[in-house]
Amino acid sequence: MVAADFSPSRARWSPLTLVAILLAAFVMLAPLIWTLLLSLKENAALVGNSGAALSPPYTLENYRSILQGNQVFRWLINSLIVSGGTTLGVLALCSLAGYGFARLEFPFRRTLFIFVLLGLAIPEQAVILPQHQLFADLRLHNSYPGLILPGLAGPFGVFFMTQYMRAIPKELDEAAMLDGASRLRLFWKVILPLTMPAQATLGVFTFLASWNAYWWPLISATRSDMYTLTVGLAAAQMNYAQTSGLGFLMAQAVFASIPIFIVYILFQKHIVRAMSGAAAK
Amino acid sequence: MPLPSLELRDIRKAYGATPVLDGVSLTMEEGEFVAFLGPSGSGKSTLLRIIAGLETLDQGEVLLAGERIDTLPPGDRGVAMVFQHYALYPHMTVRENMAFGLKNAKVPRDEIEARVAEAARVLEIAEQLDKKPNQMSGGQRQRVAIGRAIVKHPKLFLLDEPLSNLDAALRMRTRIELAQLRNRVDAAFIMVTHDQAEAMTLADRIVVMNDRKIQQVGPPMEIYSRPANTFVARFVGSPAMTLLPVTLAEGAGGDYASVTLGDGSVVQTRVPRAGLGTGTLQLGLRPESVRLTADGGSSAKVDLVERLGDRTLLYAHLSDGQAITAEDSGTSAVQVGDTVRLRIDGGSAHLFDADGAGHHAEAQSA
Amino acid sequence: MKAGGTRRDHTGLLFVLPFLTAYIVMLIYPLLRGMALSLQRVDLFGGGRFIGLVNYTRLFADETFLRSILATFALALMIVPLLTVLALALALALNRATKGAAIFRGVFFSSSVLSVTIVTLIWRFVLAPDAGLLGETAQALGAEPIPFLSHPTWSLWALAITTIWWSIGLPMMLFLAGLQQIPGDVYEAAALDRASRWTTLRRVTLPALKRTVVLVIMLQTAAQLQIFGQAQLLTGGGPGGATRTMVLFIFESAFARWELGYATAAAEVLFLLIVLLTLTQYVTTMRGSEGDGGR
Repeated sequence: MVAADFSPSRARWSPLTLVAILLAAFVMLAPLIWTLLLSLKENAALVGNSGAALSPPYTLENYRSILQGNQVFRWLINSLIVSGGTTLGVLALCSLAGYGFARLEFPFRRTLFIFVLLGLAIPEQAVILPQHQLFADLRLHNSYPGLILPGLAGPFGVFFMTQYMRAIPKELDEAAMLDGASRLRLFWKVILPLTMPAQATLGVFTFLASWNAYWWPLISATRSDMYTLTVGLAAAQMNYAQTSGLGFLMAQAVFASIPIFIVYILFQKHIVRAMSGAAAK
Repeated sequence: MPLPSLELRDIRKAYGATPVLDGVSLTMEEGEFVAFLGPSGSGKSTLLRIIAGLETLDQGEVLLAGERIDTLPPGDRGVAMVFQHYALYPHMTVRENMAFGLKNAKVPRDEIEARVAEAARVLEIAEQLDKKPNQMSGGQRQRVAIGRAIVKHPKLFLLDEPLSNLDAALRMRTRIELAQLRNRVDAAFIMVTHDQAEAMTLADRIVVMNDRKIQQVGPPMEIYSRPANTFVARFVGSPAMTLLPVTLAEGAGGDYASVTLGDGSVVQTRVPRAGLGTGTLQLGLRPESVRLTADGGSSAKVDLVERLGDRTLLYAHLSDGQAITAEDSGTSAVQVGDTVRLRIDGGSAHLFDADGAGHHAEAQSA
Repeated sequence: MKAGGTRRDHTGLLFVLPFLTAYIVMLIYPLLRGMALSLQRVDLFGGGRFIGLVNYTRLFADETFLRSILATFALALMIVPLLTVLALALALALNRATKGAAIFRGVFFSSSVLSVTIVTLIWRFVLAPDAGLLGETAQALGAEPIPFLSHPTWSLWALAITTIWWSIGLPMMLFLAGLQQIPGDVYEAAALDRASRWTTLRRVTLPALKRTVVLVIMLQTAAQLQIFGQAQLLTGGGPGGATRTMVLFIFESAFARWELGYATAAAEVLFLLIVLLTLTQYVTTMRGSEGDGGR
């Protein structure tokens, strides 16, 4: 923190500020706590009177239902496979491309890089319908590749990796070449290990973005056994009147949040860094 | 007749429209230590990188031990380089840094271990073998960089400004280590530097470069005492040689040239008159050739006094305004602003003709 | 005689080829195909018949579409200024090195990592008049619960509040990063100039943050013009299309009515709007700051 003696950041919080912050924090947390409380109540108790969530008795029954293997579990696996696959794919493709753009001289390098950079301006709606058509033609809907592949085309990762690799001193490449390393070996043994922080940041960011993706999985995975967790929750929301009830529904929400919060707590620094980087593009 | 180790044949290179090397040729003896000396932009670093294979050349050939290497990838040339900033792999230990090149060349493991151990012993870094570069001091890192080069048993060592990064004390130590290394290994050395003192102390021969060309090649003393042109004359030797515009004094001196300075004084040199041509001449004087005298000589006003302990340098100007550098004893009493009389030793003076080419005193007979 | 090493020229292409393939096949090609698609008529009976700009003319005569533009802009107007001010206020308040501040920062950022479906699920049961938190609280206080999700104006505010709650984290972080880049000695100079805290804020801090503010506004505008999940799940575009955003319109045209050409045309219009708006924002604000001269 940059904090000169007279900067505002050194002053203590005035009581007014403190109250305001606490109020805001309450507004932030209240919905989360409410959801948690609802999830801990028996469905029957909540019918017509969700206020019952504010007082005991509480139960873990809803969670037991989830864990007893139903669709939610299947959705969790799908999310793990899709997000994991996307992350690995992005890291591989973007590291390779990043090295190519950062280090290697080849015809049209600069043009190609700008070509990729311009892709950052393309919003989802401009491509998602034709993408849907394309994947329908390729018969890739309702499949893992169908859910993973579109995520590999995003230019942000390449941009991020290229910037990072540019900062690695060229002398290391030269030393490795004099050490008789082929380009690939150079990449694998010298450059890649040095990009570990960037890999972590990009990896976490990609994982999160893929996990939370809504529109594409919604239209590509139409069979309920291929839903990701995010899409499954949407379906559950729409149907909840017919299905098991409010408590169970909220338990699903909490359940879906747990993996994300784990990732968040473990990788908080990386997530913030990546999102700020993505925004500043 | 031993095979020449490195041979450069008419190397030319340009970056787009900008020429960088203008036809450079050189032959090195086996086991020779050569310094490429020159200011930045002279092309010396580019030349080194071309030899290493880190840059391509547009025209010309590079041969090592009789075989052409400019078409080979850097790792296959039998050449090892010590980078200016060491370029150690930060994520590898010292041992791994040194072994990397050998592993790529598929050298058997026990051979690798033997070579690494030997190099570590010679360089006294055996205790650092399992440390990473960021845990070591600058001097230690340099030794690792040297070790990485040694283990490859190259035919040619390339050193890129090896002493520039170091403070004065470390520089002395490293200079000695490099000299020792030179004696221990059986390879040729090329060192790139902009520091003429480094070149003078370490090299068998110095290649002085400027303006994309080789200006002069020769042993250090020859470069110092018989500079081929005004550039070399002023670049080598500290402080720089004084150059004064002079005219040939007709009739006097016999076979040797006698010249008149701008302030009227006459200097008799031992430079043969023949071959000087008819254009303007410049008189080259090292500070040690210009000393204080009680009477006679030329009058000069002192602008700056540098007391170095063992000698004192006087930066002055003659009565015609020309700058001249003189040397006095360490206990000189001269002050800034004093007017002194300077005696010029014509016997050690140099003359530079209209093309800037150097003409020097005939060698003294024993 | 040319030297070797030209082989190096093409290795680079091999490194970027895998990504480029994915990029061209799955981003560039669909982009171009989309533009072509917007000029075609595609419906349940298949076929891509070229019909020129008919889709576009139809769009601008389509009341539903035009209302969706209004709804989208209304939402953006409700969200962006409020979000920016709140995020800025939070960043200013939490720009301290204390553990407490760090915890609060974590709290305010935590909502950003949730997916849209979790967020809508949570807020559905905050806003729903019968089962929601706000509804229950209102009833407990004896007041009438506000039908957030079924009232034309309130539903827009419902979406706005949900989105602000969800999105506050990132702008706050961007402002914090911007604040940390202000060198400490500027504040010292202000203190020596006897500036009050309010003056310091107005004359020192805020001008230094101008770039970040512009960045946040541009990003958030682009993002909020693309609201989809909340509108679809919380209100279904209702009541009576009051909260039908443009993206929801596109989605419904494509997947409910299967009019792909028409939907793609709407998508292109949105794309254009976003680009124009972002560029305008950039040009008008950055031009001004250039003239001030950096200080």
